Amino acid sequence: MSEGALAKQDPVLAVDDLQKSFGGLAATDHATFGVERGTITGLIGPNGAGKSTLFNLISGFYEPDGGTVEVNGTDVTGMEPYEVAEHGLIRTFQTPRKLEGMTVREAMLVGPREQPGESFHRLFTSPGTVAESESANLAEAERILAEFEIDHLATQPATDISGGQMKLVELARAMLAEPEVLLLDEPVAGVNPTLAKKLKSQIRRLNEQGTTFLLIEHDMEFVMDLADPIVVLDQGHVLTEGTPEGVRNDDRVIDAYLGGGA
Amino acid sequence: MSALTDPRGAVEELTRPEGWVLGVSVAFLLFLFVALLTGALGPTYFLFLVGLAGMYALLSFGLNSQWGFAGLINFSVAAFFGVGAYGAALFTASGSPLAELFEGVPLIPSLLGLPVVGLVVGLAVAFVLAILIGIPTLRLRADYLAIASLGLAEVVRLIVLNERWLTNGSAGVRGIPGFFAGWPVLGTFPEAMPGLRLEVIPGSPVLLETAFWRASLNVLLVLAFAGGVYFVLRRAHRSPWGRVLRTIRSDEDLARALGKDTYSFKMQSFVLGSLVMALAGVFYTHLNLYVGPGDLDPITTFYAWVAVILGGSGSNRGALFGGIVIVTIREGTRFLNDVALPIDPAPLRLLLIGVVIIAVMRYRPQGVLPPQRELIWPSAVDGGGAPESPDSGVRERKGGGGDE
Ligand SMILES: Nc1ncnc2c1ncn2[C@@H]1O[C@H](COP(=O)(O)OP(=O)(O)OP(=O)(O)O)[C@@H](O)[C@H]1O
Ligand SMILES: [Mg+2]
Repeated sequence: MSEGALAKQDPVLAVDDLQKSFGGLAATDHATFGVERGTITGLIGPNGAGKSTLFNLISGFYEPDGGTVEVNGTDVTGMEPYEVAEHGLIRTFQTPRKLEGMTVREAMLVGPREQPGESFHRLFTSPGTVAESESANLAEAERILAEFEIDHLATQPATDISGGQMKLVELARAMLAEPEVLLLDEPVAGVNPTLAKKLKSQIRRLNEQGTTFLLIEHDMEFVMDLADPIVVLDQGHVLTEGTPEGVRNDDRVIDAYLGGGA
Repeated sequence: MSALTDPRGAVEELTRPEGWVLGVSVAFLLFLFVALLTGALGPTYFLFLVGLAGMYALLSFGLNSQWGFAGLINFSVAAFFGVGAYGAALFTASGSPLAELFEGVPLIPSLLGLPVVGLVVGLAVAFVLAILIGIPTLRLRADYLAIASLGLAEVVRLIVLNERWLTNGSAGVRGIPGFFAGWPVLGTFPEAMPGLRLEVIPGSPVLLETAFWRASLNVLLVLAFAGGVYFVLRRAHRSPWGRVLRTIRSDEDLARALGKDTYSFKMQSFVLGSLVMALAGVFYTHLNLYVGPGDLDPITTFYAWVAVILGGSGSNRGALFGGIVIVTIREGTRFLNDVALPIDPAPLRLLLIGVVIIAVMRYRPQGVLPPQRELIWPSAVDGGGAPESPDSGVRERKGGGGDE
């Protein structure tokens, strides 16, 4: 393992020498870094730097060409997304995902993992258990919606809410899956400043309650305020990693954003 | 149920399309009733039509639990139907080639002729077929299943047509007993019942004889099948299991990211739907008492799709409604033979179905009876003390028909 991951005391996520190319384009180019348990780690980089691709590789949506991904010390490289999720890693998507024909709280109920009611035969052999867990999950969903101050949306159609509210719902739903590490791809893109502030305080609160975050964000003010450390990606490889202060003043980072790294 | 204690309240609670469907159904029932009393519609034939409607309802239930629940595109409804029909027919018919095939083999000959065995075999073959077609396609994008199932339908049809040693080929299978043959009481019920003669309108008596009682047993059977399937699907649809399927239908990647093994869920949905289609086939065998390769024509698949889309994809009662509409159009056009028309009823039937589809797509793309807006395990919503109507969750908004 290389230095980036080794430097961590207790990495909940360790990415080592990860590679992925699309045709001739190396979207992920020997990327190595780790996410320390309990942190909010930022992942920044110019458009097309390969941030989303990295998320897809980590969460099992893409098969890497080389390198490894470890979650909680288990090698999850090449596993299916649901298996990676079982190891405690949940991710959201850059573009919000709508659930047609569902209400907000119903869409929330997709979040909890391993519900007894997800097993077909138990619907008939133990309906009592199914009802119990459904009640508990519904109560939990409504509690989280209330914490996020969007409980008034609970019975709205999930497709009728604003883009920013949708981002909040996505975060709330991901929390129902009880992840140890949550990967957020641009959580405040297209979100108005008030909602963004709300999201920021929610992420901070959830982090204090024990969830580790890795988040991609272009909004520098948002990410610099929230995340520490920050990993900078450029053309598929890790340019540097450091405190917000250190990253902000790093000439290589400024070059990458201004000049395409030439 | 509130409908029994407070019928007026129950009617008022209906959404506009629900009320509309209810009204048309009542009018239609009255019409049938009058036709029966006047002898314009033979009672035995009427019961046959009810059986046929139940069969189409089953087919639509099956397709709905694939396409409506999980978004799986299955173009081989006719194949699964045919597998059920032929499984049941070959194991029960007196003229079945299986009798010769299994001559001298221990045990099996004694099982031939038992409708329950035919039922189990039909379902088992459909189960295996569904898994075989699901394994290579359900991991891929949705269109692969569509293409593979299109091929499967044709393969099954050609096998039935050409493998004469097994299926009797184009001659089809005859000599099929009723489903209740050999059962205590029910087996001899039609013969035991006395013939009845009702004369409501002087000069046109209505005769209820053995054939009528036999047909009423079939209606009983299809009610049991369809009722059981409806109960299972309704519970499944409202459960967390159904919710994962609906998530897959709208965004499979989201389901995967939240830790759902989508391949396994899709397989379950596909197998479940295929079994229900095969059940429709088993029933058809004992209703029609003859099956031939023509029963596997793609038109059956087409009808099932029309029924599901018409009723509202994802809605079980919609599927039921769609199934009944299909039979009404299919059989109702036969009566047009009596009226002198410048056009043949067969193409007219397809034309009529085409018009209905276009009208539905234009004015109500979600179908006539789309699923409720929210599906949560009922007792959980009760317990949560939510203000919504407790039994059914959040319904479609009142009068939510017109988007214009
Ligand atoms: N599935 C794919 N097939 C081909 N090329 C891809 C694919 N996914 C990403 N790429 C390419 O890989 C590069 C990195 O894309 P990626 O989406 O990871 O960037 P990003 O850092 O998330 O950018 P942004 O900030 O704009 O979201 C881009 O050049 C993109 O065009
Ligand atoms: Mg991106």
